[in-house]
Amino acid sequence: MTIESTPNAAAASDRETLETLTIVDVDVHVHEDPAQLAEYADPPWDVGLREIAKVEERYLDLPGLSPRAEYRVPFPGGSHRRQVATSAREMREGLEALHVNAAVVFPDHLLSLAMVRDPSFAVTLASSYNQWLYERWLLEEPKLKGALVIAPHDPQAGAAEIRRQGGHREFVCVYMPASGLKILYGHEWYDPVYEAAIETGLPVVIHSVEAVYPVFPFQLQDFRTSMAVHALAHPLAMVANMVSMIETGVPVRYPELGIAFMEAGTSWVPWVANRLDKEYVERRREVPLLQERPSHYVRRFYFGTQPIEEPERAADVVSLFELFDGENRAMFASDWPHHDFDHPQYVFGLPFSPEARRKIMGENAIRFFRLELE
Amino acid sequence: MSLRPTSAYAVASVDEVPEGTHRVVRAGKRELGLFNIRGEYHAIPNLCPHQRGPLSEGEVSGTLDYGPHTGWRLAWIWEDEVVTCPWHGLEFHVPSGRCVALPEVRLSTFEVRVESGRIFVVA
Repeated sequence: MTIESTPNAAAASDRETLETLTIVDVDVHVHEDPAQLAEYADPPWDVGLREIAKVEERYLDLPGLSPRAEYRVPFPGGSHRRQVATSAREMREGLEALHVNAAVVFPDHLLSLAMVRDPSFAVTLASSYNQWLYERWLLEEPKLKGALVIAPHDPQAGAAEIRRQGGHREFVCVYMPASGLKILYGHEWYDPVYEAAIETGLPVVIHSVEAVYPVFPFQLQDFRTSMAVHALAHPLAMVANMVSMIETGVPVRYPELGIAFMEAGTSWVPWVANRLDKEYVERRREVPLLQERPSHYVRRFYFGTQPIEEPERAADVVSLFELFDGENRAMFASDWPHHDFDHPQYVFGLPFSPEARRKIMGENAIRFFRLELE
Repeated sequence: MSLRPTSAYAVASVDEVPEGTHRVVRAGKRELGLFNIRGEYHAIPNLCPHQRGPLSEGEVSGTLDYGPHTGWRLAWIWEDEVVTCPWHGLEFHVPSGRCVALPEVRLSTFEVRVESGRIFVVA
């Protein structure tokens, strides 16, 4: 794909700005009008889509197309910014304000495509969306690049769709909806999709949406190797429990309670903390018990080091620890005699400062467990 | 205390900002939000410190609170005193400039005077 740079008016300038920089935004979303999709849909689904169009929709919540089981109680106020783009012009204006030179376009309602029950409807939704996107957005606005949607319900149909549309250079990737997926994308079931993508020269992009349905994303029993199971079973158990404890304010309700997490390594800690902080900015009113950023509470927790991360550059562990105050919150753990135990020499040998090494190897545990050593 | 010299800028007439409303005004080089909360005027920047969104274009409401200070009961507080940034939803208590979510963040607040039906902001 070729993207023209903006006129280099500031070439002489020493300092790069948003205006002079070429910016590619790899994830923007267009809003589907079901009545418009009906114009491209196979019968009898066109009739159904016109019926869906009669229903008043809420944000990413449209009965028949992308219904949410929404039980959260609304309160007055909150963000009221328009959160959909319904035309190429509207999108262009929005992106120009962001100084974006090109953007990859994903859907709104079809983010929930994997949860559509009827495979035939899902397939026609994908194909009608792609044609609608091509004609009404991609041909209208050159800076928009399409993500070609496939229905995971029918990989053969998805492969055919890729071959049908993939020749249009306006499409730059295959979008594989993740939320509510019944079979994870590692399964051979999807090989036809990957083969078609390779054949047409398109990468695939897996994109999720806010949904837990019905067990997604926890169908880890489908993993076939210990590598996969062991890599995620431990940290995901920690992730789920920590998020739950933050959500219900355990460290606020019991500030004196020491809390530690064991045998999950630590690289997930800054990840979760950062995710929660980002959510908190927008959704603080859902957790008014919290008086500070979630990461401030996460930093009160303690973490066993095992299984310590072993990146190619050992110094990356030091950088990782800096992201969650590991110098003061990590406690060496070996898991001896289990198969994946960490020898203390490894942790000791990491390029921590002498002071940090002391804390991690012992002082933090002494404090946390209130040990009295001779 | 800032040593920057201040000026009183006429930003609106009282008729333009009835009770329970707010609007974005310009005071010199500053773009501010001017709020009329139960007959009292307040001015804060029209700039969210999060990602520089147009804070004062946001909706005004109360907000939810919970904890020992509410007797451990979910409470709706600060009715008509909280503005929510339209970009990412960060909330601010207008009279104090306090960020509801992030106690370390506090907005500047500006003195507002009314003379002869005109509203002046000292900025």
